Amino acid sequence: MKTSKTQLALVTFMTILGSMLPFTAFCQTIISGKVTENNGTPILGANVYLEGTYDGVSTDGDGNFSFETTETGTQTLVVSFLSFETFMMAADVSQMQGLVIKLREDVNSLDTVVISAGTFEASDNSKVSVLKPLDVVTTASALGDFVGALQTLPGTTTVSEDGRLFVRGGDAGETQIFIDGIRVFSPYTPSTNNIPTRGRYSPFLFDGITFSTGGYSAEYGQALSSVLLLNTIDEPDQEKTDIGIMSVGGALGNTQKWNKGSLSVNATYINLAPYIAVFPDRNDWEKPFEAYAGEAVYRHKFENGLFKMYAAFDATDFELTQEDIDLPEGLDFKLKNNNFYTNASYSGTLGDSWKLLGGGSFTVSKTDLGIIDSKIKDMENSAHFKLKFRKRFSNRVKLSFGAEQFITDFNEDFNNESVFENYGFQNNITAAFAETDVIFSKKFAVKLGLRGEYSELFDELTASPRISVAYKTGKNSQLSLAYGDFFQQPNSEALKFDNNLKAQNTQHYILNYQYTANNRIFRAEAYRKEYNDLLLFDTEFANIDSNFSNDGDGYAQGIDIFWRDNESIKNVDYWISYSFLDTERKYQNFPVAATPSFANTHNLSVVGKFWIEDWKSQIGFSHQYGSGRTYTNPNEPGFLQEKTKSYNSTSFNWAYLISQQKILYFSVNNAFAFKNINGYQYASVPDANGNFNRRALRPAADQFFFIGFFWTISDDGTDNQLDKL
Amino acid sequence: MKKLTLLIIALVSFTGFSQSKYEDGMRKAFELWKAEKHWEAANLFERIAAADPENWLPPYYIAQINVVYSFGEKDETKLTAQLGKAKEYINAAKAISKDNAEILVLDALWHTAWVAYDGQQYGMKYSPKVAQLYQQALQLAPDNPHVVFGKAEWDMGSAQFFGQPLDPYCKDIQRAIELFSTFKPESEFHPSYGESRAKSLSEKTCK
Repeated sequence: MKTSKTQLALVTFMTILGSMLPFTAFCQTIISGKVTENNGTPILGANVYLEGTYDGVSTDGDGNFSFETTETGTQTLVVSFLSFETFMMAADVSQMQGLVIKLREDVNSLDTVVISAGTFEASDNSKVSVLKPLDVVTTASALGDFVGALQTLPGTTTVSEDGRLFVRGGDAGETQIFIDGIRVFSPYTPSTNNIPTRGRYSPFLFDGITFSTGGYSAEYGQALSSVLLLNTIDEPDQEKTDIGIMSVGGALGNTQKWNKGSLSVNATYINLAPYIAVFPDRNDWEKPFEAYAGEAVYRHKFENGLFKMYAAFDATDFELTQEDIDLPEGLDFKLKNNNFYTNASYSGTLGDSWKLLGGGSFTVSKTDLGIIDSKIKDMENSAHFKLKFRKRFSNRVKLSFGAEQFITDFNEDFNNESVFENYGFQNNITAAFAETDVIFSKKFAVKLGLRGEYSELFDELTASPRISVAYKTGKNSQLSLAYGDFFQQPNSEALKFDNNLKAQNTQHYILNYQYTANNRIFRAEAYRKEYNDLLLFDTEFANIDSNFSNDGDGYAQGIDIFWRDNESIKNVDYWISYSFLDTERKYQNFPVAATPSFANTHNLSVVGKFWIEDWKSQIGFSHQYGSGRTYTNPNEPGFLQEKTKSYNSTSFNWAYLISQQKILYFSVNNAFAFKNINGYQYASVPDANGNFNRRALRPAADQFFFIGFFWTISDDGTDNQLDKL
Repeated sequence: MKKLTLLIIALVSFTGFSQSKYEDGMRKAFELWKAEKHWEAANLFERIAAADPENWLPPYYIAQINVVYSFGEKDETKLTAQLGKAKEYINAAKAISKDNAEILVLDALWHTAWVAYDGQQYGMKYSPKVAQLYQQALQLAPDNPHVVFGKAEWDMGSAQFFGQPLDPYCKDIQRAIELFSTFKPESEFHPSYGESRAKSLSEKTCK
């Protein structure tokens, strides 16, 4: 008891003394010095202090600082300033005089060089976005299809009757699509000749899109030309219900949120029957296109990570008779497809700057085709598993590595009056990759990667190095270079008949210049691609009697130009893309090297958006131009020796905000009704004069109209579906 | 025993010492801010935040200075860095003080700064987020004038954009002004801004 009283008294005394101490007891040390940038320019306003104390000061106009401290012994001096790396130094305070401190620039800042060769980003998070997420759905020609919006970027070719992505002289199969880093096996809705397909997945579930037209990361393989990376939204903003009523069907969406998780579901029904009844097209539809689609995203937040699960189901059904030069009664085609895709991924931190990403996807696709009297039944089961680790050593050095497994099981029945065949294949590919990013300074960065793949089917091992460097040439401009080797197996069209093949490959060489300032972007990219070991067969169509080989080859080279300006004209945002392409290849059934019909020399897209405040409307327009595409005229010697006339289409859209939550939307594609010709079909036998007759392949309809009404119901009444259009 | 005594002395004198230092520091920072040396004030708040990591107010003010002075900033590099720093400290403040309506209001203001910088790009993206943050803040503190006024001002902006009547929001602002008149911040360092702004907005827009 006694002691504690003494203690108390002592405590009180010391406390009183303590509050006076700064002015009396402790000796003061002065800490002083100068803070500059690496090149010696003084920094004004840097924060200089001793860690864990209140002692510190801001630097003056000459970068000088000086302050007193009562601390003694070894302390940590901290110097921090916006856009620079924080500097720390531990030393005895008595040594902290006349310091000269040079701050290193923070390479995380917006003006650091980015490796941009080959890559287009559509996201808000990236430093250089050529497209914004909204653009995917407000581009006039796109009709809400993300693939349609990407077709306005350079490097793509206008193949309007197909609808898929054709990149830099590559065919559509050379582009692979990934959702949250996990492969999508059948990204497009099924279609038939001359009817363009669409992306299967609704754009409003994604908030980041990266489209690479070459030279992409070692993380991605089995794509000769291009990868498209889609990221689903991590966390929806609020609970809501979306209702869409369209001239071609309806859509219903709902989002629910909980403390740690959220669920978004979306259902769409499309039926073209009423539309075709009003605007008949060139096909004779027995069963107009009808599709049901449902999608769901579930997200759950853990303390150190995020789990996402995405699932999509769709069913498509149609039957039609298409004109055919060899069949006066027309070609009867029917299709029924059921497709289920699911994808689960987890990304989280492991501590010590380690990050883990893992996930898998699974697809079941069942297609029943009827072509005249032949019936074809396809069944494809595919899966992809991936595990990736990422370590951040510092802001400047990052390493990632991982492994993945692809499994495909394909089976097909073919039967008509005389033939019954069953064939298929099983394909397992194992891959490993490693990649490092090194940012040497704000001006210079390098990415080095290596990917190895083993195919069980071919018993073949491939290695593909990838390298990109970027150098900043001025405040707003930079140059990038990229090189990479890319391998891809022949697709199921060949593998179902022959397994004794090997992977096709390309090399990409890319030189990119980019200028960005004040909401303006200019990009110019020159590239060269060498194709080797392309698939070749000796029949008109791949079939069970074909002889397959890897003796094909080819090249593609060209220049892509992109300009976007959101600044010069008030309320107007526009972009212009131009691509020049020179390519020849010998592949599939080509007897000699030739420019394939999906590759044309010149492509131009102009897209504009105009916001009219008084009308509460956004009006958009887009024009697509593609120079003529090749076709073979059997009346003349040669192969793919002639070209069609050029392609033109101008589209308009108008989104009118009735109120914050109700939108009326109208669009028309090919408003000026250009008569486009995609190619020609020649008769298989000549007529009495020895002349092969032909038929122009024209789009099923020259124009397309769309009207929709979109209504969002949410608690606070401000959200709407403009981002869906 | 002696050791314990010394420890207690050390502890007590340290806390007493640091309490007064904290108060001196905070007062000094507000003085600098008033004298329009807001970056120096931010630096001082940063030093206080580093020395006193359990208090949400210093990071709150660092974020607030960075957000407030980003309005009108045209240089995207600078704006991105500044708002990046603000976000970092908003997250720090949220980690210290969970379910704090004042921080949510600041977070809403952070998103509003992006909308103000480029409405075309960020308006559609961040509007629902801002609305959701105010909604959440309102649930936590229905009678906090900062929440009521912040929400009213944002809603009014949206209504003006869509050409809708402003009357309901004028009522909200009026209510905020009433709440301001009786509002007592928890301490001299707790947020106490906004009353004069609410009055001038009400005079300007609500007649």
